[in-house]
Amino acid sequence: MSEESRDEVRLPDLGDVGDVVVVEWMKAVGDPVAAGDDLVEVETEKTTFLVAAPSHGRLGSIRVVAGGRATTGEILGEIERG
Amino acid sequence: MGRLSGASKPITHIQLGRAPYAPVLDLQRDLHALRQCGACGDVLITVEHDPVFTVGRRGSADNILVSPERLEQAGITVHRIERGGDITYHGPGQLVCYPILDLREYEKDLKGYIGRLEATIMRTLSRFGIAGDRMAGRPGIWIDGKKIASIGVHVRQWITMHGIALNVDVNHDHFAMIRPCGMDVETVSMSQFGHAGLPLEPVRDAWLLEAAAEFGWCLSLEPEAAWSGVADV
Repeated sequence: MSEESRDEVRLPDLGDVGDVVVVEWMKAVGDPVAAGDDLVEVETEKTTFLVAAPSHGRLGSIRVVAGGRATTGEILGEIERG
Repeated sequence: MGRLSGASKPITHIQLGRAPYAPVLDLQRDLHALRQCGACGDVLITVEHDPVFTVGRRGSADNILVSPERLEQAGITVHRIERGGDITYHGPGQLVCYPILDLREYEKDLKGYIGRLEATIMRTLSRFGIAGDRMAGRPGIWIDGKKIASIGVHVRQWITMHGIALNVDVNHDHFAMIRPCGMDVETVSMSQFGHAGLPLEPVRDAWLLEAAAEFGWCLSLEPEAAWSGVADV
């Protein structure tokens, strides 16, 4: 799979929140995803936030599993376009 | 962004009074979905719930310290919900406010939003001569290490739901049945600070004034009946 056919799922800028905890991936690796689908839920400051899929395809990889921590811009996973 | 001098953001206020938890949760979810697709504007629900424990996404029912039979005797139901945080209690004598806002029209800053909610609570308490404060790393409002207000929020497509709960004059025996927020914390009510028997209404009205000032809201009150068809409230 070339880099050109993958889209990174990055933690969006949620403001001055420091790091977040990944609560749950709403899709498993290999599952089809559509742009805008709820993909991964994170939590910070007593707030849960659903990160949407940036593109159509399949969830290709998960870089930060549930329970892991991430900061703004960090790659949470990848979508294989198609 | 601080307190705004002019009210510029229209918001519909649904004032429910006393209501059970489940239908109000359905109403929140329906309005949250409608707000996401632009079918309605910002909405604020204020309510006083029947006794209930709610468990957030990373919360654990292990933080309920009594048996299911004891819960049933006390008339307390348990709901797993989508907000952040662990377990908390809602019940009579507690002001609960659920702002359903598009944060893209305010600030796309989750910590900033929580901070603004906290500010509205502290200023409300101040109107009653009570000094509440923040505690680093523990969202909510505290008095001498005891919790007087809880916060828990869910955001999808930058639309908020859930919100705040301020203890006006609650039954702390119910709080004692759980480990609030998954911690060994004590809770207090405004009534314990020189306001014995304090009713909910003046506190709600004070919070509405402070929240309107903080967020720049222009509130329009909707009669409860107008929303009764949405979730059978």
